[in-house]
Amino acid sequence: MTPTAPPSSPLPTARTPRRRLVADRAARLLVSAGGIGIIASILGILVFILLEVLPLARPAAVLPERTIPLATPVLAALGDEYRTHLAALSPDGRVRVLRLEDGAVVAERAIDPAAPAQDEEAIVAAMVPPGSSLLAAATTDGRVVLQEVDWEIAFDEGLRRTVTPRLEPPLALAVDPERRPLAVFAAVQAGETDYAAAGLTAGGTVRLVTLFGSENLLTGEIETTEVASEAPAPAGLDALVLDHQVRNLFGGTANGDLVWWPVEDGRLGPPQAFPAGSSAVTALTLLIGDRTLVAGQADGTISVWFLVRQADESFQLTRIRDFPRQRAAIAQLAPSQRNRTFLAVDAAGELGLYFSTSNRTLWRGSLPLGPATAATFSPKADGAFVATGRGLAALEIRNPHPEITADSLFARVWYEGYEQPEYAWQSTGGTDDFEPKLSLTPLLIGTLKGTLYSLLLAIPLGVLGAMYASQFMHPTLLRFVKPTVEIMAALPSVVLGFLAGLWLAPRVERAFPALLLLLLAAPAAVLLAGWAWRSLPARLRNRLRPGTEVGLYFLALLAAFSVSFSLSERFEGLAFGGDFQAWLLAATGQTYDQRNAIVVGLAMGFAVIPIIFAISEDAFSNVPRNLVAGSLALGANRWQTVTRVVLPTASPGIFSAIMIGFGRAVGETMIVLMATGNTPITSWSAFNGFRTLSANIAVEIPEAPHGGTLYRTLFLAALLLFFMTFLVNTLAEIVRQRLRRKFAQL
Amino acid sequence: MSSIQKPSRDRLGDSLTALCGGALALNLLLILALLGLLLANGGGYFWQKPLEELTLADGRVLLGEIHDRKPVAARAGETVAPEAQRIQLKVGNRDLDGIDFLWLDESEIVSRSRPLDTVVLERLEWGNFYGRMVELRRGSELLAAGPEEVWKAFGPLHEEKLREREAIRKLEKGPIGDVNHAIERLRLERRKVALARLPAAAEEARLAGLEAAEREREAEYEALAERLFSLRAALDAEVVLLEAADGRRKELPVGAVVRALRPNTFGFLDKLALNASRLGEFVFDDPRESNTEGGIFPAIFGTVMMVFLMSFAVVPFGVLAALYLREYAKQGPLVRAVRIAVNNLAGVPSIVFGVFGLGFFVYLVGGSIDRLFYPEALPTPTFGTGGILWGALTLALLTVPVVIVATEEGLAAVPRIVREGSLALGATKFETTFKVVLPAAAPGILTGMILAMARAAGEVAPLMIVGMVKLAPALPVDGNFPFVHLERKFMHLGFHIYDVGFQSPNVDATKPLVFATALLLIAVVTTMNLVAIAIRNHLRRKYAGSAV
Repeated sequence: MTPTAPPSSPLPTARTPRRRLVADRAARLLVSAGGIGIIASILGILVFILLEVLPLARPAAVLPERTIPLATPVLAALGDEYRTHLAALSPDGRVRVLRLEDGAVVAERAIDPAAPAQDEEAIVAAMVPPGSSLLAAATTDGRVVLQEVDWEIAFDEGLRRTVTPRLEPPLALAVDPERRPLAVFAAVQAGETDYAAAGLTAGGTVRLVTLFGSENLLTGEIETTEVASEAPAPAGLDALVLDHQVRNLFGGTANGDLVWWPVEDGRLGPPQAFPAGSSAVTALTLLIGDRTLVAGQADGTISVWFLVRQADESFQLTRIRDFPRQRAAIAQLAPSQRNRTFLAVDAAGELGLYFSTSNRTLWRGSLPLGPATAATFSPKADGAFVATGRGLAALEIRNPHPEITADSLFARVWYEGYEQPEYAWQSTGGTDDFEPKLSLTPLLIGTLKGTLYSLLLAIPLGVLGAMYASQFMHPTLLRFVKPTVEIMAALPSVVLGFLAGLWLAPRVERAFPALLLLLLAAPAAVLLAGWAWRSLPARLRNRLRPGTEVGLYFLALLAAFSVSFSLSERFEGLAFGGDFQAWLLAATGQTYDQRNAIVVGLAMGFAVIPIIFAISEDAFSNVPRNLVAGSLALGANRWQTVTRVVLPTASPGIFSAIMIGFGRAVGETMIVLMATGNTPITSWSAFNGFRTLSANIAVEIPEAPHGGTLYRTLFLAALLLFFMTFLVNTLAEIVRQRLRRKFAQL
Repeated sequence: MSSIQKPSRDRLGDSLTALCGGALALNLLLILALLGLLLANGGGYFWQKPLEELTLADGRVLLGEIHDRKPVAARAGETVAPEAQRIQLKVGNRDLDGIDFLWLDESEIVSRSRPLDTVVLERLEWGNFYGRMVELRRGSELLAAGPEEVWKAFGPLHEEKLREREAIRKLEKGPIGDVNHAIERLRLERRKVALARLPAAAEEARLAGLEAAEREREAEYEALAERLFSLRAALDAEVVLLEAADGRRKELPVGAVVRALRPNTFGFLDKLALNASRLGEFVFDDPRESNTEGGIFPAIFGTVMMVFLMSFAVVPFGVLAALYLREYAKQGPLVRAVRIAVNNLAGVPSIVFGVFGLGFFVYLVGGSIDRLFYPEALPTPTFGTGGILWGALTLALLTVPVVIVATEEGLAAVPRIVREGSLALGATKFETTFKVVLPAAAPGILTGMILAMARAAGEVAPLMIVGMVKLAPALPVDGNFPFVHLERKFMHLGFHIYDVGFQSPNVDATKPLVFATALLLIAVVTTMNLVAIAIRNHLRRKYAGSAV
C-alpha cells in the first residue's frame, strides 16, 4: 500500500483559540522529537555494540612513569604487585630494594654470604626465572645463587597500603663442581620446594643441577636431594632457558642455532640443534605455560618456536612465527606472567611489546635511557621495569586486548600444542597459563552450516507450498491454511529446540534410514495421490473446491511416513549391513553425533518455513490478476501460467523471502543451542554438530568478565550477526519494495 | 482463423502441481504433528497410570508404571520375534535404587498383576515411592499396622500434616521472611551511615539506633525460629513404614508426603479429579527438587510480569514512533530508509538484543544506578546485574519494530476522508491525530501489542543473558516495601524448558514435565497470536471498503 501523504494543516483562522494552536505546535514538536529520539535510540544499538568492540583494535600503550638514577648497574630486577618497590641485583652481588617513589634503598643484603663484602665482580650473570619471585645469579665460583623476594602487603584502616619487602636466606646450587665461573646459565623454581639451575661450564659442557625438596612430615624440615647431570654443549652457546617442569633446556648459540636438551628426572638428554638463521642468538625466554620459546638474535630478529610432535612421535623445535625485526641486537626478553605478551629491548635502546598467539606487535618505541641491562614485567603485567647503565625506567603498560587481530579471529593460527595451524575456539581453560583460542571461523562455519541445512528443507517446502496455496487453492481453504502457518511462525523456538534435542534427535538416530526412504517415498506417494485424484470423475472433482486434494496428499504423506518407518530396519539391513552408523564410519570415516546438522536442519527448517511461506505467498498472490487472466486466455494451462508468468514475476519476492529466511536461520539461538552438541568444529558433515555465533554468545557471555577480551569478542560476534542479518534483510526489503512498485505499475 | 483448442493434458505439469500440493500438505502435517506430539506428551503428564507388579524370570519383583514401549532392536546375528517389546517402567524409589526408570524385555516377565493395596506416594524429596504401607507410628507408639489399617489411618493424619505444612510455609514466607528482610535492610542502612562520612557523634548515634533495632529484630527472629523448629518437629512426629516390591523397607515422615494414592482402586472419575488436582498443583505451586517436580507458578508469574512490563514500555514508544513516521514526518527517501531500517530490526537476531541489553542496561545503566543509589550494597550489585526490568526493556527493544509496523498499518488504514473531515471542521492536526485518527487505529495498535507480547513470551535467548535464572528465590512482587522489586531475577517458562530439559541430571523423569510446560507456553503464545490475527482481519475488513 502506498503511504497516504498526511494532509497539511489548514491555515489557522483567526477564531482558532491560541491555546489550541500552542497545543498543536507542542504536540508536533513532542511527537517529532519523541519519534526521532526513539528511532535514533533503536539505531543506537548498533553504535553501542560498535563502541564495545572498538577497544579490541586499540594498540597497547607504554607510558614512562618515572626514571630513577642508579648508583650501580642492575643485572636483574623484580617488582611487587603494586609497582611500589623494586628488588635489583647488581654485579657486586647485593640485592637492593628500592622504593620507587623516591628511589631510596629500603633493604639490602648480599646475595652470597660467602663472597667477600667489597667484591665488585661477585657475580658474572643474573636473571629472573620466569614466573618466580626469585633473583638468580651466577657467581664467580661456579654456583647459582637464588634469592627469594617476598612482599608483605598490609592495609591499614584507611585502606592505605604498605608494602614491606622480605629477603629470605638465599639458596645455592653448585652447578660447576670445579668452581669455575659459569659463562651462561638458567635457573627455575620448579615447584614449592624444587629448584633447578643449568650452566655452561668452562669445560664446554652443560651441567644441570636439580634440587628436590620434600618436607619431613614429623619435623616440618625440608630435606633436599640433589640430582646433577651433564651433557655436551655446542660451541658458542650464549643463552640458556629452562622450563618449570625441568623437562626441557633450551639454548642459543653465536652461530645462530637453537639447541634443545630434553630432560628426564633431572637428567639431560643429548642436545639437538635447530638452525635459526646466521645471526647469533642473543636472548631466549619461555612464555607463560612454557610451551612458547622466544628467541632474539643479533640482527634484531624475534622469532617464536614450539616443540611440535612429528609423525614418528618425536619432537622438533619448529619456527612458528616471526615478529618485525628490531634494528639492533635483542638484548633482553621479558615475558608477562599474565598472558603471552613479551617485552624485547634491543642494544640500541628500542623497546617492543609483542603478543605471541596473535602475532601482534603491540607497541614500539625507544627508551630514553639507552641500552638495557635488565628488563622485567611487573607481576600483574600492568607495568615493566627496564634497567640501563644510566638508570631505571618504570613503565606503565596498558595492554587490555593483545589477543585480537584480524588474523587471530579469522585465519588459521598455530596454537601451542597443536601440530599445525588451525581454526579453534576455546575461550577458557582450566589453568592460568591456558592460551585462549578465539577464532570466529569455526563459529561462522557452524552458523552457515546450520543455515544451509535448514534452508535445504525450508526453501522447497516454503516456496512450493506458497505457490500451491496462492495459485491452486480456493480462497476459502486458504483462510484456514494461512493462520495455521502463521501459528507455526509464532511457535517459541525454545519449544522447537527442546523437541529437536530430546524427542527428534534420538528418533533420527534410531531410524535415519527411514528419512532416506522418506525422500523417495513422500514424493512418490504424493504423485500417486495426484494421479488418483485426477482419475476421479471430473464431475465429482469439480464439485469440490480446488485445493481439497491437499487432504488426499496429506493422507498419502501419512502413509509414506508409516511405510518408511516400518521398513526402516529392513532397509538398514539391506543397504547398510544392519547398522547405519557403523556403515557410515566404515564407508566415509565420519562419526555420527546424536545431535547433528540434520536434526538442526529439520527443527530450524521448521522455524524458517513459515517465514518463507508467508512472504512468498504474498509475492505470488500480488501478481496482478490481469497477467494471469491474459496468460490463461492465450491458451496456457494453469501450470504453464504459474511457471512462466507468475513465477518469473514474483521471483524477486521469493528471493527476498529466502533472504529473510536466511536471516532468521543465521540468528536463531535456542534451537541450535539445544539441538547441537555445541562443539566448535569446522566440519561440514551433516552427521556432526557445530556451534553457531549466536549459541556461542548465549553459552559464553554470562561467564565473560565485563570489559575483558572474551566479552568484547562476543560483542564482535553479535556485531557480525547484526551486519549479516541487517544487510540481508535490507537487500530483501529493497527488492520487495521495488517489486511492489512494479506490480503497482502493471 | 485457428479454432480454439482445449489445452492438452499436461502430465508433467499435473505431477509437479501435485508435488507443490504435497509440499503444502507436508507443511500442514508437520505443524499438526508437532501440536499433536505436544498434546499427547504434555497432556498425559497428569494422568495417573495403573501400578503394575511384575515378576521376572530371575525372581525379581518390580512395581511401577509402564511409561513407554518399543520393539526390541535386533542385534547383529540375532533374530527376535517381531512382537517382542521392551517396556519402560517407572519404578521410582530413587532413594533405594538411584534410578527412576528402567527398560526391560517383556519376555522376561513371568507374571503381572495390579494389586489393589499398592500405593504411590508423591514425596517432597526423592520423587515417587511405589510400594505398600506396613505400619504407622508416632515415636515408638504404633498407630496402625497392616496395609488396610494404615491406609485408613493415613488419610486423616495426612490431611492434618498438610495443614501443618501449610502453616510452616506461611510462617516461613510471612513473618520470618519479613524479619530477614528487615535485618538485611538494617545492615545496609548501617553500611550507608558508615559510607556517608557523618560527624563522629551523629554517626555513632545513628549506628546505635540501628543496632538496637537490629537486636530487636534478631530477638524476634529467634522467637520465630523457635516456633518454626517446634512446628517442624511436630510435622515429622509420625512416620509411615513402607515396603517396596522387593521387600526392602523404608521409613518416611508423614509430613514429607505430598500426595498418597492407590491408583489401582481408581475409577475414571477419580483419575479425572486427580488430574485436575495435579494440574492445579502444576500451575499454582512452587517447584520442588530443583524444578523437576511440583509446579511452575514462579515461571508463569515471571513470564507474565515480564511481558506486561515490556508492553508498558513498548506500546507508548512504538506508537509515538509510528505516529511520527506516518503522520508528522515528511514522506521522502529518508523516512523510507528509516522505515526499512526499523522493519529490518525485527529481523536482527534476538541474541544481539540480549548482548546489547547486557552491555547497556545491566552494566552501563544498572552499574551507574548502583554507584549512585545503592553504594551500601556494593560490591553486590543491585541493578547492575540481570533483573526483570532489564529483561523487559531488552524485549521492548526487540519488539518495538512489531508495534511500529502494526501501528503504521493501522494508521494507514484510517481513510483520508476521515482526517480531511476533521480538519475541515476546524480541528488542529493535534486534535485530528489524537482524537480521530488514533482511536480509529486502536485495533492496529492492539494487534501490534499482542504480537509483541506473544513474541516476548516465547523469547528466551536474550533473557538468558539479562536476568533469567533457573530458580529465583523470591517473586519480583511481595509484601516487603517497595512491593515490586524490578531488580530481582526471575523465572520464565521458556528458560524452564531449556533448563529442566537440558540441564537436569534425570532427563527421563523430567521430560513429561517439560512437555507440559511447553504445551502451556505454546497455548499462551498461540492464543495471543490467534487473537491478534482475528483483530487484524476484523480491521482489514472494516477498512477494506473505505480506504480511498
